[in-house]
Amino acid sequence: MRHVTKRRFLAAAAGALGGLAVPIGADGQEMPPHERELYEAAKREGEITWYSGQYSAEGSEAVGRGFGERYPGVRCNVVRSTSQVAFQRLSQDARARVAQCDVFSSTNSGHLTQLKREGRLTQFRPRNADGMLEQIRVADPENFYQTTFLGLFQLAHNTQKVGEAEAPKSWTDLLDPKWRDQLAVGHPGFSGAIGVWAVQMRKMYGWDYFKKLERNRPQIGRSSQDPVTLLNAGERTVGVCVPAGTTLLSIARGNPLRIIYPEEGVLATISPSGILRNAPHPNAAKLFMEYQASKEMSQVIRGLYAEPLRPDVPGPEGSLPLDQIKLLAPSLEEQEKGVPEVRDLWRDTFGV
Amino acid sequence: MNDTATILPKPAARAGEPRRAGVLDRLSHVEPVALVWLALAVVLLLLVVAPLGKLFLVSFETQETGAFTLSNYVTAYGRARYRDALVNSLLLGLASATISVVLAVPMAWAVSRTDMPGKGLTWAVVLGAFVVPPYLGAVGWILLAGPNSGVINRVWRAATGAEGALFNVYSFEGMALVIALHSFPLVFIFVKAALDLVSSEMEDAANILGAGTWTAVRKVSLPLVWPSIMAAFIVIFLETIALFGTPAIIGIPARINVVTTQLWQFFEYPVRVEVAAAYAMPLLLITVGMIAVQKLLLSRKGFVSQTGKGGERRPIKLGPWRWALFGWCASVGALSVAMPLLVLVQASFAKAWGRGISLDNLTLRNYRLLIFEHEMALTSIWNTIWFSASAATFAVLIALLIAYIVNRRLVPFGEALGFLAMAPFVIPGIVMAIGFYAAYASPPLALYGTAAIIIFAFTARFLPIAYANSSAAVRAVHPEMEEAARILGSGRLHAISRVTAPLVKKALLGGWLIVFIVASRELSAAIFLVGPRTRTMSVLLYDLSEAGNFEVLAAFGGLLLLITMVLVGVGMKLVGRDFMLRRT
Repeated sequence: MRHVTKRRFLAAAAGALGGLAVPIGADGQEMPPHERELYEAAKREGEITWYSGQYSAEGSEAVGRGFGERYPGVRCNVVRSTSQVAFQRLSQDARARVAQCDVFSSTNSGHLTQLKREGRLTQFRPRNADGMLEQIRVADPENFYQTTFLGLFQLAHNTQKVGEAEAPKSWTDLLDPKWRDQLAVGHPGFSGAIGVWAVQMRKMYGWDYFKKLERNRPQIGRSSQDPVTLLNAGERTVGVCVPAGTTLLSIARGNPLRIIYPEEGVLATISPSGILRNAPHPNAAKLFMEYQASKEMSQVIRGLYAEPLRPDVPGPEGSLPLDQIKLLAPSLEEQEKGVPEVRDLWRDTFGV
Repeated sequence: MNDTATILPKPAARAGEPRRAGVLDRLSHVEPVALVWLALAVVLLLLVVAPLGKLFLVSFETQETGAFTLSNYVTAYGRARYRDALVNSLLLGLASATISVVLAVPMAWAVSRTDMPGKGLTWAVVLGAFVVPPYLGAVGWILLAGPNSGVINRVWRAATGAEGALFNVYSFEGMALVIALHSFPLVFIFVKAALDLVSSEMEDAANILGAGTWTAVRKVSLPLVWPSIMAAFIVIFLETIALFGTPAIIGIPARINVVTTQLWQFFEYPVRVEVAAAYAMPLLLITVGMIAVQKLLLSRKGFVSQTGKGGERRPIKLGPWRWALFGWCASVGALSVAMPLLVLVQASFAKAWGRGISLDNLTLRNYRLLIFEHEMALTSIWNTIWFSASAATFAVLIALLIAYIVNRRLVPFGEALGFLAMAPFVIPGIVMAIGFYAAYASPPLALYGTAAIIIFAFTARFLPIAYANSSAAVRAVHPEMEEAARILGSGRLHAISRVTAPLVKKALLGGWLIVFIVASRELSAAIFLVGPRTRTMSVLLYDLSEAGNFEVLAAFGGLLLLITMVLVGVGMKLVGRDFMLRRT
């Protein structure tokens, strides 16, 4: 990935300049005109409700708080859950014909393509997106949704229970009977990323992969982050399809974990957000989209070890630079069509 | 109390009104009590009948068009996986109710009838298990009995050198036990109240005829309280099949799908309320069936233990056995309260709970995050308090009026109100919530996401508790006291406010507190109805549990318990320490 190398270079350059290159301070000192205009309109609306399954619960709260600090008078109602549950809430709202959500974010891009197809999104392109990494700058040519989360999902192991040498090296290594009762994984009925991962694995190895995986009796949680807790506790030893951000944060807090980058590649969810057409706070929603594309937001989430979206913010400590990782991802169409299918197959294969 | 004002006697009501012709004139002849009756009937229709009626109708509707169809039932029961979930729920309900009875009946007997030491401690255990929300207990038990990392299993391995786990919480037995450990207080309350009424003479009679203590208990005392045991069994069965949190937290890793998690799946995109409604219908049938069985088992038997003669009640002397019983109560306390709370508190102050207790693992970060940095945590605490307080107030108010009308036989068909007030008792909470969603979420009322819909759902769900409580309280006040006041020239309102109300005040406060506590921990009725700003603590705890961050989860549980404890403390101060054990 050539662009990422450029990002690293730019990041280094920005660092050398001591961050002076983009002097947008908090409290609106140097707010660009397009933001100021939206901010004035957003202040009259006072709040924005954000359904999100992208960043961790802690990360989402930090983003919501960061937004409120940067734009005083506009509060962000963070409704963080797994992506499928967030979409379920949105569907429940729609079914009840009640508009509550302004901005919807999911790790399953299929949710956004579906919303767009059903005419339920507002067209908006944040100006700040111009400063984002080039390859994720345009998620939808028609600008109904924007990339707001760059999730990397791989394997992790508890280093006290499993040595580096014996740890699995690839997604297929997990099928080895020696990992029976050792694995932990999320659930595609809850986690968007696990749904996307299951689509990717099915594409590469057929559904048989999961039938074989079931022979090893993985412990199934809900969120893709669930296994990290289980690894920390020593309940299970190898986490399957765990988010890099949560894992790195956990390592930073002193837990004996290590990330494994599978040989076949890492699952990358380049996940979008969109503004609902019936959003009760349309201007605040636009402002929030600007914020998600801004340098400030990338800095906030970097503090929680998630991947920044912009070249002017360096990657989180302890992670491999993106250009050294092979990325796997199903297409948007495959995600929209595939996730409901694998969710059902999953329930038949694993019983829950 | 504005509502009671309308119960003014007819002459008084008419005196102040100028004579009017036509309809108004005829209206003025309507008995004011009848108007209250009517108002209550409307309230009950809205709270109980409409949601369930809507649910029933929706189960036969085609999505979008609303045309009649049976296909929802075919979809709901067409797959083996869905039917298995129903079977799992039934088995789980039976198992949890059985374990609860086994745990609690000896405790109730020991406290009510014997000279067992440590009765105060037993009270504390029952109260503690009652106020800990079941899903929080479930998290505690994951920390205790995770097959590899659970404290119990680690100690077991270290002590015996065994390979396997002593107890795996991620199993059917694990789930049933964890649920029972937070349900048994109901059995205790029901059975102890019944045992308190059995006079020692009956046991004496058995003893004189040569039966030992054990035989007397088995043949005399327990059969006399059999109806209470059955009632508690049914309540726990119903509560268990309505639980959502525990099956989501323990059941998914244990690969056990139950009715509530299945209902949740029907709410996945596209939201299929129709199928969910159809899926929920058999639950109501099963409930009706259980109550029929209860009637059948109890019919043509006499359970009268209270007679006109004042029986003597003295504790049975158990000798050394009293320590065995005490040991039993203490063990239940350890399993249900002490052990889970201990690990939860440890986790709430830990950087990483798996690292155990050490100084470098201690942190206040989890609490700081919730109190100072989390946008919803404090709001949800406030929501929980005022939703539960409002629901408790409404429920007690409605229940008191109905109880008064039914008890004093002020109107014909008053019993119909009593029946409706008790009906939610037999409806699983999650079914009630879906009924509310179907009936009130959409326009024209569009209550979805508002505080009102949650408060109404809580009110309806816990109305039976308030009604049973109020009914007992009103029944305990003989009408002759009111009559005495009225003979001396007091109006009904005056008599109620000066005579009846002071007499039932304490009991009502007790009822209010019980409703408040159960509402504050309610998850299954809230999960389908909350909006972004109306999330309660239980829903936020559930959201947090999704992310698998047990440390923050435990800290939030700690806050929830702290608040409940304070309120329970206040309740005890106001009403006396046995407020929740009054006959409810």
